[in-house]
Amino acid sequence: MTTYTVYKEQLPELFGKWSEEYSLYVPAKLREGFYDLVAWKPGLEIAWDFDVAYNSPKRFLFPPREALITFDRRTCEAKPVFEAPPQILFGVHPYDVKAINQLDQLLEGGAPDQNYVRRREATVIMAYEPLTVSSTAFWASVGAGTVAHGFDLYWTKIGPAAFTVEVGSAKGEELLSLCGGLVPATAGDKEGARRARARVQFRARKNSLRYNWEETPRLLAKCWDSPLWRRYSQMCLACGSCNLVCPTCYCFDIRDEVDDQLGEGVRYREWDGCMLEGFAKVAGNHNFRPKAQDRYRHRYFRKGKYIYDKIGELGCVGCGRCVRACTAGIANPLKVFNELWEETAHEH
Amino acid sequence: MAKPKIAFFDFAGCEGDQLQIANLEERLLDILGHVEVVSFREVVTGHSDDYDVAFVEGSITRPGDEERLKEIRKNAKILVALGACAAIGGINCLKNFQAENVYREEVYGAHARWYPTYAARPLKSVVKVDAEVPGCPIDGAEFARITKDLLLGRTPWVPDFPVCVECKQAGNVCRYEMGRMCLGIITRAGCGAACVSQGAHCWGCRGLVPGANLDAARIVMDRPGTSRKAVQDLLRFFLGDTGAAL
Repeated sequence: MTTYTVYKEQLPELFGKWSEEYSLYVPAKLREGFYDLVAWKPGLEIAWDFDVAYNSPKRFLFPPREALITFDRRTCEAKPVFEAPPQILFGVHPYDVKAINQLDQLLEGGAPDQNYVRRREATVIMAYEPLTVSSTAFWASVGAGTVAHGFDLYWTKIGPAAFTVEVGSAKGEELLSLCGGLVPATAGDKEGARRARARVQFRARKNSLRYNWEETPRLLAKCWDSPLWRRYSQMCLACGSCNLVCPTCYCFDIRDEVDDQLGEGVRYREWDGCMLEGFAKVAGNHNFRPKAQDRYRHRYFRKGKYIYDKIGELGCVGCGRCVRACTAGIANPLKVFNELWEETAHEH
Repeated sequence: MAKPKIAFFDFAGCEGDQLQIANLEERLLDILGHVEVVSFREVVTGHSDDYDVAFVEGSITRPGDEERLKEIRKNAKILVALGACAAIGGINCLKNFQAENVYREEVYGAHARWYPTYAARPLKSVVKVDAEVPGCPIDGAEFARITKDLLLGRTPWVPDFPVCVECKQAGNVCRYEMGRMCLGIITRAGCGAACVSQGAHCWGCRGLVPGANLDAARIVMDRPGTSRKAVQDLLRFFLGDTGAAL
């Protein structure tokens, strides 16, 4: 694919142009040490060296609360609700692109999730090579340090005021050329991008799995009865934070609410999480995963085995968000998988 | 079908929950269109003892309150506890950690002897409560939703997960990551993480989430820079009647 060189001074004009038709989100500093994708406005300082966006990008494709249908109790009629505002996510790190690619596979396969599909189609992903690595991240060791697809443009900062931009789709190229004057990247610029990537990949290997990530499903298969699950889950607050901040968790609950005349109503979905006590509650109030231990184990099996069994990838992209979000300090896929590897060392 | 008759009552509390309902304003007319209000002193005059649903606000703080509450229970088909004081005892229970002569004298002065009181408690310590609208104050929208559910014959839904869920949905930076304390980890959600979203922390006004892991929560809260006294004060603020308060 074509690669261009873009200079920082071109960005305000490009951003201004894009935001005429799209909601544009860019990385910015929330407070010291906390960054997130926020709505762009002229003059906003972009946090080029952000380590991780505090909230995962799934909220743009799968909002925390979303109407699915409206209904009328009197006529028993229902109408679907689709909202898909055109949006550009600028500054999505590769591990988050990978997470979105995974959501695409899981939500668009089988019976496609129509709400997700529509939002996804209206979304332009501008990936961005990280410059720094969050202290809890381990994406390089779970095969999520690089992505080959899933972006419309891929930005790499190669100097204080220059970027190389790799084109991933025609749509991306069209957006990039809106202000004209595109310069193809020179061999030197491309080399600069390669070095920038190599540097951050090296830094990201500081936190690493002690084995090849592809072994994880086989490892877990041996660890169903490990004492680790109980040891960690004793501290579980069942708050679901690890699920909710996870860029690949996509479970939701569905509820109805009627208007004040008790005539029309809306059926909506809201984020849910398998670590919440009520998650596995079914009709008759039966809970098929009543213990924190069952729920805790389930989450790691989900990330390390069940998703792999479906699509051949780990359900964990190593962003480290759950590690940060867990007040009890027990959510940590890297630590859990490494400890299980150690526990079964006599078998490998 | 005749409209269900509803009545509002209050015990020890500020009547702020009924005020939240009155504050629904134009929505209130629609919702009250489905019912007949026989007693609601902040909104209508008059009173009748013939009602189906009793919304009861406030805590029970005097032996004499019990009699009145039992009478309400006897008259009502459905009794709904309205707000933190009624549902979990709320801030009235702060006095339960003081000596009786101290708080009685503070409240009633020289005439303390004339007024018998006892440890503050939620309604459910005295009578059977069918539903609760938690919070201090209650959320008007949640009251409306619970009322509509009851009118439709559905079991009212209140979140059975902690405030953390709504905080993550709102995208707030966790108070613990900012080195602050917060009761969101053990408190029932439903407020939309209102206090945290406004920059404060959770005080626990909606009561404990079912199955709250209090042992773990105490370990989480007991961190450098936080005194045990501060943790204890926070846990006693709204949760004095629960096992959380030390």
